[in-house]
Amino acid sequence: MTATDTAAPARTPALPIPPRPRQVAARAAATIVTIVVLVSFWGLDLEWSKIAQLPQDLVHYGRLMFSDPDWSMLPEAALQTWRSVSMAWIGAIAGVVLSTLLGIPAAHGVGPAWVRFPLRWSFAVIRAVPDVLIAIIILTVTGLTPFTGALALAIGGIGTHAKWTYETIEAVPPGTAEAVRASGGSLWEVVRWGLWPVAAPELMSLALYRFEINVRTSAILGLIGVGGIGAMLTQYTQHREWDVVGVLIIVVVVVTMLIDAVSGKVRRRIMEGATVRDVERKH
Amino acid sequence: MTVHTPASAPETQGQLMIPPRPRTWPKALGVTAVLAALTILTTIPAIGGVEIDLASIARNWTNGVDRIVQMLTPDWSILPRTWQPMLETLQMAIVGAAISAGLAVPLSMWAARPTNPNGVTRRAVRFVLNVVRAVPDLVYATVLVAMVGVGTLPGVVTLVLFDIGIVVKLVSEAIDSADAHYMEAGRAAGGTQTQINRVTALPQTWPVFASQVLYSLELNVRISAILGLVGAGGIGRLIDEMRGFYRYDALGTIILEILVVVLLIEWASNVLRKRLR
Amino acid sequence: MSEQSHAVGSEAEGATSASGSWPISLTDVTVRYPNGVVALKDVSLEIEPGQMVAVVGLSGSGKSTLIRTVNGLVQPTAGTVRVGEHEMTALRGKALRHARGDIGMIFQSFNLADRTSVFRNTMVGRFSHTSTWRTVLGISSHHDRDIVMRALDSVGMLEKVWERAGALSGGQKQRVAIARALSQEPSVMLADEPVASLDPPTAHAVMHDLERINHERGLTVMVNLHLMDLARQYTTRMIGLRAGEVVFDGPAASATDADFEEIYGRPVQPRDRLDVS
Repeated sequence: MTATDTAAPARTPALPIPPRPRQVAARAAATIVTIVVLVSFWGLDLEWSKIAQLPQDLVHYGRLMFSDPDWSMLPEAALQTWRSVSMAWIGAIAGVVLSTLLGIPAAHGVGPAWVRFPLRWSFAVIRAVPDVLIAIIILTVTGLTPFTGALALAIGGIGTHAKWTYETIEAVPPGTAEAVRASGGSLWEVVRWGLWPVAAPELMSLALYRFEINVRTSAILGLIGVGGIGAMLTQYTQHREWDVVGVLIIVVVVVTMLIDAVSGKVRRRIMEGATVRDVERKH
Repeated sequence: MTVHTPASAPETQGQLMIPPRPRTWPKALGVTAVLAALTILTTIPAIGGVEIDLASIARNWTNGVDRIVQMLTPDWSILPRTWQPMLETLQMAIVGAAISAGLAVPLSMWAARPTNPNGVTRRAVRFVLNVVRAVPDLVYATVLVAMVGVGTLPGVVTLVLFDIGIVVKLVSEAIDSADAHYMEAGRAAGGTQTQINRVTALPQTWPVFASQVLYSLELNVRISAILGLVGAGGIGRLIDEMRGFYRYDALGTIILEILVVVLLIEWASNVLRKRLR
Repeated sequence: MSEQSHAVGSEAEGATSASGSWPISLTDVTVRYPNGVVALKDVSLEIEPGQMVAVVGLSGSGKSTLIRTVNGLVQPTAGTVRVGEHEMTALRGKALRHARGDIGMIFQSFNLADRTSVFRNTMVGRFSHTSTWRTVLGISSHHDRDIVMRALDSVGMLEKVWERAGALSGGQKQRVAIARALSQEPSVMLADEPVASLDPPTAHAVMHDLERINHERGLTVMVNLHLMDLARQYTTRMIGLRAGEVVFDGPAASATDADFEEIYGRPVQPRDRLDVS
């Protein structure tokens, strides 16, 4: 390798620069993706005039909603919000209890195959059905009540939550369970002393996360008439009372962010093992 | 420090030095009390709580079972009518994911610490995105339908808002947690933050980014299936119609179709994700 | 902070940055990190143009901080740093980026963007000479391209120019990093533990490259090392750092084991040498 003078690049002889490789596959993929997106866009048959109008509309309605919100509706909004949060809470508790009871036997190493597979399949089926449709079925039993909302959240939650439960249990390092088994523990003892203590913090954290998700979903279920902030929002949106809609959106955002923040903090404490820190602090 | 020799052992025999047990019960009691109080408060109908009406279940459980049985005997004759709305759902999902992907590139860079050392703009972007994420998807759709009218446009806008929320959050967190040592070289060479982001951070995060966009596409198919319930286009429109006619057998068909489409999209995006590495 | 904050960057515009090598001068430099750790205590140094200097010390002795104050990646809490006509401690923003453009730097962990081509990684060295919009659009001038290719050729990495940086071996990566620094056409070269992540033969090869750059281009080279024999073999002057203070400053070749024991603050151990024989 001889040294070349980089100060005067133009005068030195040409370098044997290797040819740049053509990335055929990447280009083809990019082209296909672009075509699919363009075809979809074109096929959607969106009206250009409406798209052009959109920013203006958003500003216009944004002003209607938030320039002078009708704060006299706040007490009613607060009551309906509590109804939604209640649905979310009860739905979370019932859903988590059901998911834990059904999820543990669905874990590898706990339940036998003839228990595991039917359970896992039913979780998958529930996951495939949108929460709104589950609520539509349940309301034929319990009517258009918040209880329907809570039940829909509980049953709809099983789909994902039971899956998380058995995945968490399966992710527990086998050591502790093996130790219990080695000292002659029964299946119940293995679950209680080998798996539960290790998996519990994670499961509790997931339960709180389920509540956070439910807070959002409960507002959605309100739209089909089971009550709560979602029902109120639909009603006032249909009547185009924008100053009330503004209040409702502000309430939804504030309450959701607040619950996320508190729940997030608690979850972090659970996962960090708050008890360990407390003991250390005393020394 | 004293060295314990075996000789000193007999002295303590018979009287074990048991360290005092740390008191954990006040804490456990506190946690239980909070949980119980919340549960009670959420079941008082007078203050907005849920009235738990187990009697109605005992009374009407057969209704629900009937519906489920109806759903489990799908009416296939509805299928031809589902193609067009299902195609619309897919198109909405793709367009929504594509637009949000374009917007999410600069936003993710602004929302992550290594790619945006300026704390003020970073926090501002994060706050706005937290607000955007706090509004449930169907709420966006309801309000947007009232604004711009029934159709696919409010649906697409809803999906874009929803996708930006999750893609930017997940990608910016990935940038935050990744070891961004390559940034230092760009800084030492005297580059601007934008130059460093473009040449190093963008290619480095590209796989995470693409994978999150694919994930948002999967979620979009699920969401846009129900957007039609509030008039925002797609297969949900048909769901709403069938529900109005109590055609649960047709609903069963549509749910199955959604399930198949969702599984296909998940499979396709898994294949793509593997190729991306 | 210094009171003489006159802009010196403008003088550099006329001279071409590769025209010569620059002196480095540190006056009473103290670095105290926000967490209270004092990394450097009142360090004053004069480094002649074209010198090849090793900074030796254990990890945590402050040598990484020292080298980073030279190009302003770490700003001292007190004292002044001058590199050629730039007063680094007085520069901010654009002027600081321009000054960094004249100072090349290589790192222990190479700091390459692994998913990007060698070419693009080397182009990072042209940042301070390229406008941001050009970088964003990915347009490189023929002039820059030529400089990058020649820099890669001079370290023997030209044939790998289109390969992903992540596909290279450690020694190859460090050579690309050297090419990146060279393509800045710098007047000073900094190297922070450039061989600590490499096996002995590769370490010697990289040190040899640095020596060659020093000899052939006459660049001032400042290299952090924790191994005594590399310092002795390749550099002319050695600065020993312990707990943020200069405890040795003299010719590298004649530094004795006793001098190293003074720097390390403990007897010399086998791991302080590269070639365990």
